Formats: sequence, C-alpha cells, structure tokens
Amino acid sequence: MTLAPTLALRGVSKNFGMTAALTDMTLELFPGEVHAIVGENGAGKSTMIKIMTGIHHPSSGVLEVDGAAVVLNGSKAARLRGVAAIYQEPMVFPDLDVTENIFISATSGLFLNRPTMRRAARALIARIGMTLDVDRIASGLSLAEQQAVEIARALSQDVRVLIMDEPTASLSAHEASELRRIARALAEDGVSVVYISHRLEEVFELANRVSVIRDGKHISTKLISDTDPQTLIAEMVGREVGNYFTKMPSTATTETLLSVQGLSVDGVFEDISFDIKRGEILAMAGLIGARRTDVALALFGMLKTSAGTVTYKGQSLKITSSRQAIDAGIAYVSEDRRKLGLAMALPIRWNISLATLQKYLTPMGLINTSAEIATAWDYKKKLNIRTPNTDIAVGNLSGGNQQKVMLAKWLNMTPDLLIVDEPTRGIDVGAKAEVHALIRAFTAAGGTALVISSDLPEVLALGDRILVMREGRQMAILNHADASQESIMALATGQKDAA
Amino acid sequence: MGLLSRLSPAALRILALLAVLAIVILFFASQIEGYLNGRLFNRISSSVAIMALIATGQTLVILTRNIDLSVGSVVGFTAFATGSIITNHPELNPLLLLLYAALVGTSFGIINGLLVAYARVPSIIVTLATMALFRSFLVEYSNAKSITSDSLPTWLTDFPNLPVFSIGTLEFRAGFTASLVVVLLVHLCLTRLRPARALFAVGSNPEAADMAGIDAKRVVFAAFALSGLMAGLAGFMFLARFGNITVVAGLGFELKSVASSVVGGVNIFGGSGSVIGAFLGAILVDLLETSLVRWAVVSEFWREAVLGALILLAVATDTILSRRLAKLRAKKSKETTK
Repeated sequence: MTLAPTLALRGVSKNFGMTAALTDMTLELFPGEVHAIVGENGAGKSTMIKIMTGIHHPSSGVLEVDGAAVVLNGSKAARLRGVAAIYQEPMVFPDLDVTENIFISATSGLFLNRPTMRRAARALIARIGMTLDVDRIASGLSLAEQQAVEIARALSQDVRVLIMDEPTASLSAHEASELRRIARALAEDGVSVVYISHRLEEVFELANRVSVIRDGKHISTKLISDTDPQTLIAEMVGREVGNYFTKMPSTATTETLLSVQGLSVDGVFEDISFDIKRGEILAMAGLIGARRTDVALALFGMLKTSAGTVTYKGQSLKITSSRQAIDAGIAYVSEDRRKLGLAMALPIRWNISLATLQKYLTPMGLINTSAEIATAWDYKKKLNIRTPNTDIAVGNLSGGNQQKVMLAKWLNMTPDLLIVDEPTRGIDVGAKAEVHALIRAFTAAGGTALVISSDLPEVLALGDRILVMREGRQMAILNHADASQESIMALATGQKDAA
Repeated sequence: MGLLSRLSPAALRILALLAVLAIVILFFASQIEGYLNGRLFNRISSSVAIMALIATGQTLVILTRNIDLSVGSVVGFTAFATGSIITNHPELNPLLLLLYAALVGTSFGIINGLLVAYARVPSIIVTLATMALFRSFLVEYSNAKSITSDSLPTWLTDFPNLPVFSIGTLEFRAGFTASLVVVLLVHLCLTRLRPARALFAVGSNPEAADMAGIDAKRVVFAAFALSGLMAGLAGFMFLARFGNITVVAGLGFELKSVASSVVGGVNIFGGSGSVIGAFLGAILVDLLETSLVRWAVVSEFWREAVLGALILLAVATDTILSRRLAKLRAKKSKETTK
C-alpha cells in the first residue's frame, strides 16, 4: 500500500509498575481497511486500545497519525485527531436522549439548535442504515441501539479510525450481522476500522487484515486470505513457556455431589448440563462473554433460572438466594476482588471471619476476637499469606495475598462445593502455583471445586474435566487427557462445533 | 400511550408536580375556611422568591452528583455583608449593590468548587465544613450586631413588594417576578446552551463523560460557583424582604433547598431534573409549610413531622412513578425492535 497509515504504533511498549502489558508493539492502520486484532484474554488488546485513544501514554515507542509522531493527551485529543472507540458495553448517557448523546462531544457553538441537531442526528443514524427515534432517552435503548448511537457520535466528529472492541459480544446474531454491515460500510467510506473480536468466523467474514497479539507482543499481521482459523488459533495460544503448571493427579471419588441438567437463564445461557464428583475439580473454560460467571451465579442463587434442575447431594435443590446457597455448603469466590470479594479497608481477620461470624460469638453474643485471630493466623500459615499480622487492612496486601485472604474467607466456611471464578487473575506466577495447590488440597480433603478460568494453562493444570462454553452454550466436556490449549480454543471460538 | 410517548419525561414530571400542587391546594381549601385568597399567594410567592433562587443553584450542583450544604450560610453572610455596605453607603447605586451580593456569593461558591472539583474532597464533607465556616465568618464579621430595616434605604425594602402585574386577584410583586425571570433564564440556559449539556453528562455517566472529552472538574467547579452566585442573589432578596438581619439569617435553607429540588423531581443521584421542577418543588414545600400552620387538625408539635412525611411521600411517589415509566418505555422499545 502506498498511502501513509492513518494511525500507526511503532515499537510501543507499556509497563504498569513491574508488569509489561505491551512490548515493542508495531501496527499500521490504513484508510478503508477493516483490521482485525485477535488474542487471548489478557494478551494486551485493551492496553493497546487505551494507547490509541489517548487514555494511556506509551512507556516507550511512538504513536503516529498520518505519518507524523503525536502525543495524545486524553480521549478528547484522540477524538480531535479522528480516533474513537466503541466498546462491548456502550458509553452512553442514560438520562439524555439520542440526539443529545450524539452531539455531547461537540465543541463549537454556544447555543444548541435543537431542530438542526435532530436533523443531523437523523442523517447520521440513516448513514449507518439504522432506524431510531432521535428523541428516545438512551436508558431505554437496546445494547445494539446504544452502540449505533456511539458510532453516530464518532461519525459526527469526522472519525478516521474507529476502534470496535468486541462490539458484538453481547448482541444477538441479527444485531451482530447488522453491526458488521455498518463496520464494512464505514471502511468503504475510507475509515480505518479496528475490529477486536473473539469470534473468528466474524473476523474471516469482515476483515481485510488480521493481527495476532499474545502476551503483549505482536505475533503476526497477515492478509485475511493468507491465513486460516487453525493458524490463528495456534498463533494465539502458542506460548514459548508452554505449560508452566503441572497437573496434579485427580482426587475425584465416585460419588456425584452436584448434577445439573438443562440449566437455563433466559437470554443469558441455555441448556447447561454437567455432573461433579466429590473431590473433583471441574474447570469451565471459554472467552469473555461465554457466560461462565452467570452459570456460577445461577448455582449460587444470584440469578433466577428459567429452566433446568439441580441435584445436590442426591436431592433436588432450588436455590433462590446466596444465603440459601451458603447454608447448603456452596461457596462462591468472585472474580472481582475489589467489588464483590473483599472489604479492602478492613483488617485481614475481619475479612476471613466475615461470612462465618456466628462461629465466633461468645455466649454473650460478643465477637470472640481471640478465636478470630487464631483462625486468621491458622490461614496465614496454611496459605502462606505474607503479612506481619492479621490486623492489616486487606487493601494493603499484594494481589496474590488478597486472593489468598478471599479463599481463606470461603474455605473457613468449610464448603462442600467451592466455586472459584478466575482464581489467579492479576497475580504473579509464583502465587498462582500456590493458589492451585490450595484448591487441590481442598479437594484432596474431600471438597469439590468448580473453577472458572480464562487462562488456558490454568484450566489444564486444575481441571480433571473441562467444560467449554461459548456465548451461553455448552460446547463440550473434555476429559483432561483429551484436552489441549488448541482444542479448547477451537471450541471456545466456535471453530469446532460441539461434539 | 400516544401522550406518554410524545411528552418528554421531564415534561411529564412537571405535569405530575402541577397535579400534586393542585391536589394539595384543593385539599386545604376544603379544610380551611377562606384559604384561597390573594394573601395566601402573596405569602407564598414572597417566600418562594428567595427559596427558588437557592433551589435553582442547588439543582445545578445535584445534577453533577454533588450537594451544596453551605447555601444557607452563604445567604446569611451575603445578606449581612450587603446590608452593612448599604447602611454605611446609602447613596450606593442599586445595581452595584446587587453586583456586590452576586460577587460575595460567587466567591463562596468558588471556594466550594475548588475543594470539591480540584482537591477531590467529597462535596458533602466540603460543604458541611464550609456551612459552619461561612456561618462563623458571619458571626465574626457582624460582631454579633444585627442589620435593622430602619437603617436600609426605602428603595431596597420596598422593592420586593412593588406590584408588577396581576392576574385576577393574584398580584405578582417585583421580588417574585425577578426570581421567576431568573429561574426561567437558567432553565433556558440549561436546555439550550451547549456547555450546559455537560452538566447532565457528568451526572449521568461520569466515565462516559470523560471518554467524550468533557472536563468533569471544570463542570463541577462551575456548578458550585453558580450555586454560590444564586445563594448570593438570594441573600440580596433576603435582605430586601426582611430588612432585619441577624447571625441566624438563612439557617436551615440548605436542607429546604435540597428538599425543594428533590421534591421537584431532580434526581439526587445526578443526571436528570430541571430548575422548573425545583421551582415547583419550592412552591410545594412552602405551600405545605404555610398551610399546615393554618390547619387546626395538626398540632404545632406535629407540624414538622407531617411536613417530613409529606416530603417523603412526594419523593416516593415520584420515584415509583419514574421507575414505572422507565420500565414501560423499555418494554415498548423492546417490542418495537423485535
């Protein structure tokens, strides 16, 4: 191509403290192309978007617009250069109407000319081939409509590079094909469309070129006609480190603890069926948007199921609240430590005893602090939580140690079934191995675990069996012996159909 | 369904408020003899003239997901400072005096704005502190003396009661009319000026506002400065209406202004509401207060409790109503997209 790239990253690296999120990334975007970017969860795609949209600054390397190096200070600067992004969860103002949402970033003119704005809004909506009442309040719009509003907003500012970050992950099939049509039309208008997606069939349908990134590094950029899904998957998962965790032998017994048949939640996931034996670890693999967490929340009574049966300890069980689940011996360790897991400002020992406080009451109904402290120290030793004492606020610990406190809190409940969602997100490799050993020790002692993880090596290191989900559907349950990173990825991206 | 979809939610809320006002008036008219007359209108309009200004400022702040608890102290301080200037310089041009009041109020607003927007202290803490601070400034500044109405020029004390025009027996006086004009002006600015949209954006979805390139700090700062300005103007009106200013002037106005805004349909979590709503809210709160005094059924000890309960009732009705509406709309839009 002879044109100068509209936007280019040249040798861009980004470090957050000691972690390198991006290393020496190079990428060129040309006008009129749809450039797909694929990679595993955590490969560095989000960091790259944030650099292109001016939210993060590169630690080293250069960002170029039309061949000239630029420094983008914030999303406003990026928008002025014609770079805009839309996300899986649209960024709209729920209280404002469609017209106001589209022109919220406008910078010229003091007075709002409502009739002109409405006309312009209608024209923009029409340009992307949608029909939408421009007076509707955004909170009542569907996700697809909200995305259309965002695209129209970008168009109103003469967008030249439109980054779409997994735009179809939450859309229905029809809405998704509609969105792909819009992306294609924008590219034909000369916009560079960056299309990030986990759906490989979408990538092959839409993109002109595709770049693979892995572990923050650029792996390849190819014309779509020069590659095929198998090659892409191999490039996405093929890590030099290989399996850095070794699988520990299964501790499964023959007794079935939990049996789920045809579990569904309307519009979220459907027809999930599996058994877990006592002492077994069942890993749930899949990409973001596969709805694995929702399955866990349904089992934990936080989501209302619309169909299916759950048999637990040989009895039919209908769980409608988390309290009920806890009483039945089911624990759920959330993936979101900050929001749902820990009270960051409170001491370690308060956090550990939080879910089981009734065990620490004196006959007077007061909290027996010495027993509480003893328990906390016990877990500190068992889980190797690195802290001088248990009165320190959890927020002051490292991510790995926070994760251990969270596990301690739920292990202290001595659950029969432990559901762990992303047990090692954002913690270092050493702590990961420790957490893995902990979960295995729990099942060896008679517990049962359901582990949700987006980290394929982790799935293979923990799962005695592996349930692969994709977009709310169960693709397969693999025995550990039959599973590989490639086979899981092929199922999770829809390249291989449910067996 | 036709009417519901054609009217904007904001307009719907205003209509609902007007309906509630009408119901309240009819109720008390049936309970109290000789209730509906020109005197009731005068009493309420001259009191609302002050509160409407404060509630307007408060609304601007609440729209950005903040709260300004210092407005009562700002009103008190401005009234006193303005009064002492005119006492010492009776020949001062009225417009200059008004400008002085506006400046004093705005400066207090700027202090709040700097602390909330740029020092990132939560607004409830900042304004709780400045409420006490500004009140102490007043005590210190006044030397525990009071302004008395006989030391003020007659143009000032006469101004609020000058008749401007009348509709039937309802006489619109200058104070209320001026306040009404300000509210309408702010309303026009809020709905028609481009920068005003940022106020709603920041309160509606701060993250998206940031992504859209809106400077949230500047927006929050401006909201507090404007709230100060409004409180300053209200201080001027307070001085003109009452003449006698002590150190307790404007005490409790902060909560009444919040009540007016919230009753007027301004979302306490930011992002939606109108100053017209807040204005009607101020009328409703004042109407209830005034009417309860005259309603023999409620003893004076229970008056506050009844007022509080009525405010809760008004807000609860409003919340339930708007939730129902949102659901209805969502349902409808789902049906049309299917």
